[in-house]
Amino acid sequence: MSKLITLLLLSCISIPSLASEAKLENIQVMTDVQTVERGAEALMTDCHSCHSLKYIRYRDLVNYGVDKGKVDAWRGDLSMDAAVMAQMAEADSELAFGKAPPDLSLIAKAREGGASYIYSYLVGYFISSDGMPGNHYFPETKMPDVLGISGASNEKERAEIQSKARDIVAFMVWAADPNGPERIRLGYYVIAYLIVLTTLLYFVKNQVWSRLK
Amino acid sequence: MPHRIINWIDQRFPLTSFVKHELTGYPTPRNLSYWWNFGFLAGFVLVLQVATGIFLAMHYKADIALSFDSIQHIMRDVNYGWLLRYMHSTGASAFFLVIFIHMARTLYYGSYRAPRELLWWTGQGLLLLLMATAFMGYLLPWGQMSFWGATVITNLFRATPFFGDQVVIWLRGDYMVGDATLSRFFALHYLFPFLIIGAVVVHLVALHTVKSSNPSGIDLADKDNIPFHPYFTAKDFYGLGLFLIVYSVFVFFIPDSLIEPANNIPANPMQTPNHIVPEWYFLPFYAILRSVPNMVGGVVAMGLSVMIFAFMPYLDRSRIPGGAHFRPVYRGLFYIFAVDMLLLGYIGYIPPTDTSIMVGQWGTALYFGMFLVLPFASKAEERWLMKRGLPPQVEALIASEEKEKLKIKNRHRKGGAA
Repeated sequence: MSKLITLLLLSCISIPSLASEAKLENIQVMTDVQTVERGAEALMTDCHSCHSLKYIRYRDLVNYGVDKGKVDAWRGDLSMDAAVMAQMAEADSELAFGKAPPDLSLIAKAREGGASYIYSYLVGYFISSDGMPGNHYFPETKMPDVLGISGASNEKERAEIQSKARDIVAFMVWAADPNGPERIRLGYYVIAYLIVLTTLLYFVKNQVWSRLK
Repeated sequence: MPHRIINWIDQRFPLTSFVKHELTGYPTPRNLSYWWNFGFLAGFVLVLQVATGIFLAMHYKADIALSFDSIQHIMRDVNYGWLLRYMHSTGASAFFLVIFIHMARTLYYGSYRAPRELLWWTGQGLLLLLMATAFMGYLLPWGQMSFWGATVITNLFRATPFFGDQVVIWLRGDYMVGDATLSRFFALHYLFPFLIIGAVVVHLVALHTVKSSNPSGIDLADKDNIPFHPYFTAKDFYGLGLFLIVYSVFVFFIPDSLIEPANNIPANPMQTPNHIVPEWYFLPFYAILRSVPNMVGGVVAMGLSVMIFAFMPYLDRSRIPGGAHFRPVYRGLFYIFAVDMLLLGYIGYIPPTDTSIMVGQWGTALYFGMFLVLPFASKAEERWLMKRGLPPQVEALIASEEKEKLKIKNRHRKGGAA
């Protein structure tokens, strides 16, 4: 029976996806305020003209601790409670790229592989030998190589782009789940409380059962 | 004063005798292991799902234009909405895990045997209700997997003879899964838990009539029964603590591991996801569905794969007590069955290939083969065990059960009440 429960538990662990051909570059991202702020800055410059984040309001950024001056610069004369919408109208970008760029609020959760997938995709652009641009992870993508990784001439430039992509992904991870940090912080308290409670319940149980001969 | 209040109530309502009969005096075998904890846990998860569900419904909008956004509203704007939602989505998985273990325990220890057939069948009915509730709840976030899962499953009703197409339209309320489907699934997803509560009451009435089974597989003598309260309330609450620790790890640290990534994309009827997978708890049955090439056959096989457990009291013909513990053949079958379930679950998860379909077909054949072989295997095993000589423990169990039966008979003859 103990074997069975191990097997049952194993079956709950999600089995890694077999979907994409290229192997993802596994990354861990930090969603501390500094990283998220850097990521937001990069995203506002490189992604925001086409992509929206409709579930994020400018106020959410300020509430998380992003510098208010920067947020004011990004929102221009939009309200603090306005959603972060793309600068380009959806119809225009559909005309330009043939496909409306996806909203990015949930993108870190909406792709198999999550943060690692998005990072790998962003730095997965290349120029093939016959001079055609391509992407290892999403060959049919309509998005151009915005970060310019395929044109990077040396290692230093590559590393800079990679660290920028990492920041952008960190921002997206935060945006997909702004309550994530609070959830984890609360989680430690809940687990600690439950361990104490369960230990006490164990003693209660032993105490009660000791009355039996 | 409290005594007078209780007296006042007791003259009008059987409060004290109810508590005595069902709790403080309810006889429970003292040898129950922790595997007997899971019925209580299932009851607890049911309450948890109803409680979180009612609060989620206060913020949720059952409208295809609004529902996806309303989930994000719950996740981002509602105070601790993320906690409610993750508790509810994790709770669904927890419910199935607990129920599967509860069923596995019944199968391992032969708790379905006479006189507990009705108890087992009411449980079977509860499993069906739970599956229907989970399936309808999965449509509500209106993500890609919600939409396509509901489309695939409602489409299966096309297999109904004569008016299959009409049945599908009747279920969906439209020619395709749409706003009408979402509204009715929401209404029914709110209704079904209360049907489940009703069915749980029936399940408990049956349980309290035949009393709990126990690892020995026989009805224990009176002296080996102890009151449910305080002994098993104490034990169940300790088990609950352990369960809550595991549950909280999922809720607080890896809640998204139980949500398909594609369900974070709003439903799009124009774009089919690369491969459509149900939630993990449906995967073995889904694999059985897919492994039959003919659709009607697949639906029948899937339905049968869930319902076939109801026949267990008649398929298992052995009279050896002690569940699988003293029955090596049955124990072997039990573990093979568990492994087959996991294999089918994996086959149901991966996109179908020629190899996976073939493995799935073998897995399905094995699944049903076990139930076909069981009547003969259990009888042969019994004969073999008798011939070889039963272990002294089993002999003792059988003898003590005989003695107990005799005692009860004598008591009845004397006309004395138990």
